[in-house]
Amino acid sequence: MKKLSNLFMLLSVMSFALPALAQGGDASSAVNWVAIAAGFSMAFASGICALAQGKATAAAAEGLARNPAARPGIQLALILGLALIESLALYTLVIIFAKVK
Amino acid sequence: MPEQLWFTAFLNHLFAGPVTALLRAVHFEPKYPQAPIANSVAMELLVFLALIILFALVRSQLSVDSPGALQHIFEGAHGFVNGQSEEIIGHHSEGYTPFLMALGFFILFCNLIGLVPGFESPTAVPVVPLGCAVCAFFYYQAQGFKHAGIGYLKHFAGPMPLLAPLMVPIELISHLARMLSLTIRLYANMFAGDMVTLVFFSLVPIGVPILFLGLHIGVSLLQTYIFVLLTTVYLAGAVAEEH
Repeated sequence: MKKLSNLFMLLSVMSFALPALAQGGDASSAVNWVAIAAGFSMAFASGICALAQGKATAAAAEGLARNPAARPGIQLALILGLALIESLALYTLVIIFAKVK
Repeated sequence: MPEQLWFTAFLNHLFAGPVTALLRAVHFEPKYPQAPIANSVAMELLVFLALIILFALVRSQLSVDSPGALQHIFEGAHGFVNGQSEEIIGHHSEGYTPFLMALGFFILFCNLIGLVPGFESPTAVPVVPLGCAVCAFFYYQAQGFKHAGIGYLKHFAGPMPLLAPLMVPIELISHLARMLSLTIRLYANMFAGDMVTLVFFSLVPIGVPILFLGLHIGVSLLQTYIFVLLTTVYLAGAVAEEH
């Protein structure tokens, strides 16, 4: 019950923002959707990249803790994995460079 | 007249005529006929000359009994790349070390030259990492053909001959995507580093950009290592023998 009342309070507060949707139809201030989408997409890409790299680092640290003698192999796999994951976020950045004026 | 670094302006002053004539001979009209050499090309040439001089210097000072500091550095680098390729490729990996070393030194110097005022990293324009990636791609394909002859094409067929019609396009695209990913990884790291340094320089001109120059050093070293490591991994995929 408390959760439901919290949800309704949240919805009512969010409805205060509804007037922003009523744009007067003035074409001089066209919305720059490309920039907005660029910001969101880069944020998503960086966030998910960080999650993936965190998982990779955690696995590497645990492997190293269990078997310190395997350090060269684990280090190699870690660096390789981190660079490959990083490059996926960088693809998003490159698209932004290419598309945002 | 485009914006030129002092070294580019110097090269264009000397060689604009012959270079424009050469470009026109292959039906390519340069955008600025009095400055056909771009900044990135001039910086690449500078790195190339610096490396040739460095290698000649090391070569002339090689000694078994009393190695100098430069020899120690190069032996260390050679040992590192050799150890890396032996771990990844396995036996008979010494033949690949010269190419990997040359690639690594070229990319490292190209990345680091951007730190010196008056110069810029050629790897911050997309064509230069593309050139390095194309070299790496053709090198490992050539090594694959040299190692296994025409049987190298079996690598593209996948694990079972029945799956070959499905696997061949997938493998081809994945091999071409390797060139793309090598290029974009290096280019985006270098360009983003420059961009972020500029942004913070426009916000806080004193002190803070030094942190980003330090970041640039770290990223240069790491990206060089990653490029050489990935080339080694692709080489291993091309020349490895299934036991």
